Amino acid sequence: MKIVLKNLTKIFPSRNKKAGEEVIAVNNFDFTIPDGKLIGLLGPSGCGKSTTLYMISGLQKPTSGQIFFGDDDVTELSTENRGIGLVFQNYALYPHLTVKQNILFPLQNLRGEDKMTKQQMLERAYEAAKLVQIEELMDRKPSELSGGQQQRVAIARALVKMPRVLLLDEPLSNLDARLRLQTREEIRRIQKETKITTVFVTHDQEEAMSISDMIVVMKLGVVQQIGKPQEVYDSPENLFVAKFLGTPPINVFEGEIKSGKLYIGEAAVLETPGIDDQPVHVGIRPEGFILDDNGPLKCKLNNVEVMGRDVSIVSTHTASQNPQVRSIIDADNKIDPDTEEVRFALKPHKTFIFNKDTEERIFIEEK
Amino acid sequence: MVDSKQQWKAWIYLAPAIVLLLLFTVWPIINTVSMAFLEGYSGLTKVGGETTFRLGIGNFTRVVGHPDFRQALLNTVLLCVLTVPISTVLALLIAVALNSIKPLQKALQTIFFLPYVTNSIAIGMVFAAMFNVIGSIGTRRPMIVSYGVVNDIIRFFGGNWVNWINSGSEYWANMFVMVVYIVWNALPFKILVLLGGLQSINKQYYDAAKVDSTPRWRVLTKITVPLLSPMLAYVVITGFIGGFKEYTSIAGIFGENMGPAHDAGRMNTMVGLIYDSLEKDNQGGASAAALILFGIILVVTLINLWVSKKRTHY
Amino acid sequence: MSESIRTMHTPNVKKNSLRQKILRPVGLGGVYLFLFIMAAIVLFPFYWMVISSLKSLAEYRLSPPTFFPKTILLSNYAEAFTTASLGRLFMNTMYVGLVSTLLSLAITIFTAFAFARLEFKGKELLFAALLATMMIPGELFTITNYSTVISFGWLNSYTVLIVPFLVSIFYIYLLRQNFLQIPNELYLAAKVDGTSDFKYLWKVMVPLSLPTLISITILKMMGAWNSYIWPRLVANDEAHRMITNGLRNAFTDTTGDVNYPVQMAAVALVSAPLFLVFVFLRKYIMSGVSRSGIKG
Repeated sequence: MKIVLKNLTKIFPSRNKKAGEEVIAVNNFDFTIPDGKLIGLLGPSGCGKSTTLYMISGLQKPTSGQIFFGDDDVTELSTENRGIGLVFQNYALYPHLTVKQNILFPLQNLRGEDKMTKQQMLERAYEAAKLVQIEELMDRKPSELSGGQQQRVAIARALVKMPRVLLLDEPLSNLDARLRLQTREEIRRIQKETKITTVFVTHDQEEAMSISDMIVVMKLGVVQQIGKPQEVYDSPENLFVAKFLGTPPINVFEGEIKSGKLYIGEAAVLETPGIDDQPVHVGIRPEGFILDDNGPLKCKLNNVEVMGRDVSIVSTHTASQNPQVRSIIDADNKIDPDTEEVRFALKPHKTFIFNKDTEERIFIEEK
Repeated sequence: MVDSKQQWKAWIYLAPAIVLLLLFTVWPIINTVSMAFLEGYSGLTKVGGETTFRLGIGNFTRVVGHPDFRQALLNTVLLCVLTVPISTVLALLIAVALNSIKPLQKALQTIFFLPYVTNSIAIGMVFAAMFNVIGSIGTRRPMIVSYGVVNDIIRFFGGNWVNWINSGSEYWANMFVMVVYIVWNALPFKILVLLGGLQSINKQYYDAAKVDSTPRWRVLTKITVPLLSPMLAYVVITGFIGGFKEYTSIAGIFGENMGPAHDAGRMNTMVGLIYDSLEKDNQGGASAAALILFGIILVVTLINLWVSKKRTHY
Repeated sequence: MSESIRTMHTPNVKKNSLRQKILRPVGLGGVYLFLFIMAAIVLFPFYWMVISSLKSLAEYRLSPPTFFPKTILLSNYAEAFTTASLGRLFMNTMYVGLVSTLLSLAITIFTAFAFARLEFKGKELLFAALLATMMIPGELFTITNYSTVISFGWLNSYTVLIVPFLVSIFYIYLLRQNFLQIPNELYLAAKVDGTSDFKYLWKVMVPLSLPTLISITILKMMGAWNSYIWPRLVANDEAHRMITNGLRNAFTDTTGDVNYPVQMAAVALVSAPLFLVFVFLRKYIMSGVSRSGIKG
């Protein structure tokens, strides 16, 4: 079932009434979530991603705009009547119920065509438990489980009634690194198997990129860019998106366009035909550097980190906005760690130019 | 840190409390227990009176064997068993209802707390007035001047009037009035505690219940009540302790007769019995009765704790 | 999971919307109706007390009764005041209440301070022993205290109403917890500056614990106002009688053909101060009560 968000806006009144300031948590969000896809809502804290999720769930009411499930307008419909599954950030497992009782709980509320017999419920519960590999934990209480186990129970509870829409709020934030990796693969697998339209919220770009069919990057309530993860990474529409996606993060330089060329410092690093002369921000992905003794970009070498497959070169440049310039090149390239200076050529498709004031992308015309 | 100067100073700060506690708390414990187990011993007579007392449980057997004791025990237990569940369930429903509304919540909360700040004797007199029938009831042809407002309301709805508390009234009618008054009196504290408990339950459980399309009654029985069980245990235990010490509310409604005019003492309680013994200079009996009361409260509290521990661990 | 991949049925949005539109207001209306009915029941005795106290005896005896007095008769209050000699009772109770509150506060503050800040041998043990006595019903103490005060010759005096109840373990416990929340650094800093313990207690700890002290004061005053059993036992003479006993004594008959308007006026007069305290200091009462579980 597709989900349509139309001009969705949420304004929180100010806590301090005298100040009278309102907080626009979500501003005019327009998006159609395609049926059966996994969508990652991504952004730093306070960007409105969770608010958007809670508006889809019905736990929060939009200030204006509409939400459709399929063709039905559900904007005014309360959560109980939307038939969704939701995994809370802190799981919200009922502490007095066992894992089994927690998973059975949503089934016992089903009515009408979905109503089940006790036997069917148990079967369903065990199937869901199997899916997230917690069958052995069915008789424990949530307090006796680790964070990762609780999280799987929460997913099982959200999944067990096979909702039309599954929503996940920072579902991996409480897990350790290894478990996080493992669980996000599981979520992806389960979603693919069940083909439930899934929206999940995270501040971790790597997480979102790795499992989403599409990502939505948000900042201060405003959608910055929507697209397939690789597309957004390869072609960020503004400096914020460029900076937010990618590890290690993108390198940003002060630059200038002068008579069709991009200058970083004194060096002309790229041809930029058709762009007016102006000061700009230049973003270069770490993998956008080519080690080249005759390259135009001269940096002062700090150190070289060998990471097996790749080599990470840490250097400095006066025009860099980050304290360090970090580039990743193939390990086949040999570099003497004792040299003072290192020179790079740039890959044009990994180099992005942004307007100095609006920070919007300035595209270089393809030849 | 602990030098002798500090030690000395600490005891100066403690001195007034210690002296008073020794006199009015520690000595009474020792003395009351001794009086209970010493036959013929009395705090009043010990100064110059008889010295022929001996160790024994005679005080206990005499108290337990007395018909007044059985009546008082029955009254007290009945009051507890009736008022604690009724007031707890009512308080729970009111607290849940209060917690689910926004407009008028504060105002209603204040109204429900009002009975707390009352004088048991004074408001007991108001309840007596509401249930009282004016006229000659006991005679063959009763002449009723006023049925009392409660009977008037019953008659308005087509029911028969009841002789609630007047001379010739029945035991169950007396008991009904007491239960109504004690429940009315017990509600504010319970509502206050339960509402505080409800407000400290994580809202996410209710959001999760909404996501799961949980019907209202199921939210109440499967989520609210279990999560509130520590608070419920607290109000039930304090309710039982208070119930076993019931005395003034009965004195408020029936006066010091502790019963309707034709059967004084019929509504007496354990505490009332202790004071009666005291006024009759039967210190040993009073002590024994007090110890029995203490024992009952202790046992009931332990049972409550045990049950609630079995039911609330999560 | 292949077989059960079939997701749940799409909720019928139109039906659900309609049901929501009808059920929501009905449910909320039901909640308010329940609360209003319960509130009416809770308030009814107060309402009945006030309107009865304003009726004439003849009107009071009407059956069915009037729910608002036809003629408002304030003379009931004057009569109640003289019948029960409420003036004297008010004075006695206020005197006992004030003196016992002040002394009790002082003792509570000193004791709580010693338990919270000073070091001495057996501190934990002593405190645990004190807490244990809270389990024992008061009647157990009363029996011996009765003979103690008789042998002291305290019967029918203010002393007997004040002294035996000056120490309250519960108040000490409450205040100690409050004192413990005040950071120890403040105390050590004061020691470095050469501030004496006593000065520190009065200048820092007491002001910081004011809300708790106010709660204690109110509960203690209410306790004096509502005390009934002990005063009846030891000071039921004209000169020292407390308000609740005075009220009960003046109107011994609760049933039968009693002059209820006057009696209700007396009850209203006795209840009024409690209401005033409640109206202005509700916050302190409620916070004290929710921690105590004991009345008064």
